[in-house]
Amino acid sequence: MSKYLKGLAVLGAMTLVVTACGSRPTESNQSEGSDKTNSASPQAGAKDFRACMVSDSGGFDDKSFNQTSYKGLLDAKKELGVSSSTAESKSDGDYPKNVGGMVDAKCNVIVTVGFKLGDQTAISASENPTIKFGIVDYDIKATDLKKTNLKEVPTNVKSLLFNTAQSSFLAGYLAAGMSKSGKVGTFGGLPIPTVTIFMDGFWEGVQYFNQQKKKNVQVLGWNETTQKGLFTNDFENKAQGKNTASNLISQGADIVFPVAGPAGLGGLEAAKASGGKVNAIWVDTDGCVSAPEYCNVLLTSVDKGMDVAVQDVITTSFQDKFDNTPYVGTLDNGGTGLAPYHEWDSKIPADLKAEIDQLKKDIIDGKIAIKSKVQPQSQ
Amino acid sequence: MNDATTTLTRETAPVPATLESPDERRRRIRMGVLALVLAGIGVLLAAFTAPETVTFALSGQLADSPLSAIKLPALPVALALAACTVAVALAHLLRGLSGRLGVLLWAVFGLAFVVTFLCWAAAGKTFPLTNQLQGTLNLATPLILGALAGVLCERAGVINVAIEGQFLAGAFAAAVLATVTGSLLAGVVAAVLAGVLIAAMLAVFAIRYRVNQVVLGVVLVVFASGITGFLFDQFVKGESAKFNNPGVMSAVPIPVLSSIPVIGETFFRQTLLVYTMYAAVAIVTFVLFKTRWGLRVRAVGEHPRAADTVGIKVLRVRYQAVLAGGVVAGLGGAFFTVGFTGGFDKDLTAGQGFIALAALIMGRWHPLGATIAALFFGFTQQLQGQLQIIETPIPSELLIMAPYLATVVAVAGLVGRVRAPKADGEPYVKG
Repeated sequence: MSKYLKGLAVLGAMTLVVTACGSRPTESNQSEGSDKTNSASPQAGAKDFRACMVSDSGGFDDKSFNQTSYKGLLDAKKELGVSSSTAESKSDGDYPKNVGGMVDAKCNVIVTVGFKLGDQTAISASENPTIKFGIVDYDIKATDLKKTNLKEVPTNVKSLLFNTAQSSFLAGYLAAGMSKSGKVGTFGGLPIPTVTIFMDGFWEGVQYFNQQKKKNVQVLGWNETTQKGLFTNDFENKAQGKNTASNLISQGADIVFPVAGPAGLGGLEAAKASGGKVNAIWVDTDGCVSAPEYCNVLLTSVDKGMDVAVQDVITTSFQDKFDNTPYVGTLDNGGTGLAPYHEWDSKIPADLKAEIDQLKKDIIDGKIAIKSKVQPQSQ
Repeated sequence: MNDATTTLTRETAPVPATLESPDERRRRIRMGVLALVLAGIGVLLAAFTAPETVTFALSGQLADSPLSAIKLPALPVALALAACTVAVALAHLLRGLSGRLGVLLWAVFGLAFVVTFLCWAAAGKTFPLTNQLQGTLNLATPLILGALAGVLCERAGVINVAIEGQFLAGAFAAAVLATVTGSLLAGVVAAVLAGVLIAAMLAVFAIRYRVNQVVLGVVLVVFASGITGFLFDQFVKGESAKFNNPGVMSAVPIPVLSSIPVIGETFFRQTLLVYTMYAAVAIVTFVLFKTRWGLRVRAVGEHPRAADTVGIKVLRVRYQAVLAGGVVAGLGGAFFTVGFTGGFDKDLTAGQGFIALAALIMGRWHPLGATIAALFFGFTQQLQGQLQIIETPIPSELLIMAPYLATVVAVAGLVGRVRAPKADGEPYVKG
């Protein structure tokens, strides 16, 4: 055991030394060189090609969007045989260090996960024009040039965006249809666009249900028109998440829609603790797969196909076909959607399911317009 | 002998109650002005209260047997209560409140202010009162346990910044052991051991090797975060059904007490861990102030040289106190997983250990003070969440900030005297 630990320590020390050695100029020359080798014989150079990823402060095991993005990296690694490096951020202060570390690790493509890494990605991409970047949930064109002190938006960054307002709209409709108390609740981690887009869609879905069915189902915890709502103020504090969901429940919500990463798991715990009175809808991944212990309270999940998008950006970079037009996942291209109903499949009325399928078609065809202002623009 | 003491007290004790030192006078005025400002805010809020009914719900809307609600006319109630706060503030400013009556009046002041605020914020709406109490207790339980751990350490002269680390270690150990053994109690025991383990590291480095205790505490937090994260990634994450699905302790209602309306349901239908917290508050208070060991702990924290001179083994008492703190902090850690939310997640304590530290300081290094401060923190945190749901005009950031602003005010010495144990953070070198 102690030998194992010693070995580990030595390995750790070596990694530190190795990463510390690579000074910037030499390393960017080298990566240029390896790019050339790659274009000559792509498959042969697979081991030299390094795909990298930096998580946001939620970490790769958040059962949510970091985890799904990470799956995309693993899939690409399996498919192409490329090498990989990852850096997990513990706090917002880690971003410069972690993205810089990936640059030093001679990565050919770096995928950063999350809106919060936006500024840092823009800065690093400008400094390292030979490295390809992908960023999940952030539109690089929206970079604040003054704040980041850049002259122009870097062109070596592909934004991976998801119009989850569309899928959350369906979730809102479903929740309104399944609520017995006439109240549904939602809460977010932080009031940032990638969180509120879910809440906007959910809110609009409920309003649409009310309009169609002449009902008055209320949404607690978010109001699209005022953009005010309920937030746990971080993505980690599970106890706060559970408590926040309990607050919604005490106000009468019998379906909760937590958009708060791991802290949101506390919301599922609150639903589970209610003994069948309260159910929930999960976000980002299929909750029945990522958090199976809560499957019986999950009506469905709002799926966000970050794994596919991440794998795609790595593959195109590897094949030297990288382009910087943003990817926008929609209901249409399957980049976002509702996960299967799993255990609720038999309990959700067939009419409601049919209505949701129809809604999905209508949104794709543009018959229903979603108004949320934080929706990414399709190309 | 007896005669001598009585004459002595007779000579020194009878100080007229009306005389106060310039220092006390200054403090009274400062406190009075502060209270008056707060009362002024209350009056302002009351003046802007909508003339509608405010409803305090006594049970959740989905409860099996919903209780009736208290309905009050918001405006007159707010005005009346705001007047009460002004009266108390003025009384203190002019006369100085002290003794039992003082405590009672300050309690009235606090309660009146909070209700005024609620009348203003929830006029025309329904405020779930029992849920407010329930949430306060949920959020405050780990804070109280953490702050008690801090009290034990710091009263003995060892600064404990590592409460967050003890929480994390405890939370992790509880989740894993409870899942593996299938017994939640085993999980709690494991949490206690994990808390003691971190405490032992704190004790050895702080007492034996005299490392700077603040730096050491921070290092231990990072260590605990790292080790639990590493173990979680390596062994637990992929096998959550086998290692990380402990379930949550169920509530055990205390007969009779739990049937008291409103508060019974909240305070006496809780898990064993919460009852342990109640007991811990009483035990730590009793032990510190009523037992020989407690006296020694305090002596060692105030003036270790003097304690040594009379034959107290300073280092031994410090070790004991720090390890005892580890037990309490470990319990706090267990609350995060088996006590409330089930499975472990990396860094799920989210800085609550540091807030416990703030509660300890605001509570003036006294177990009861720390408990009240922790409850206050839990109360505002919960209030913030509830008010966001009923869409009140107040920005939620302001409410989140409030308890810490209060801490700064308290630590700055504006309210009474805040003094750390004199030898807090100083290693003892015999010689």
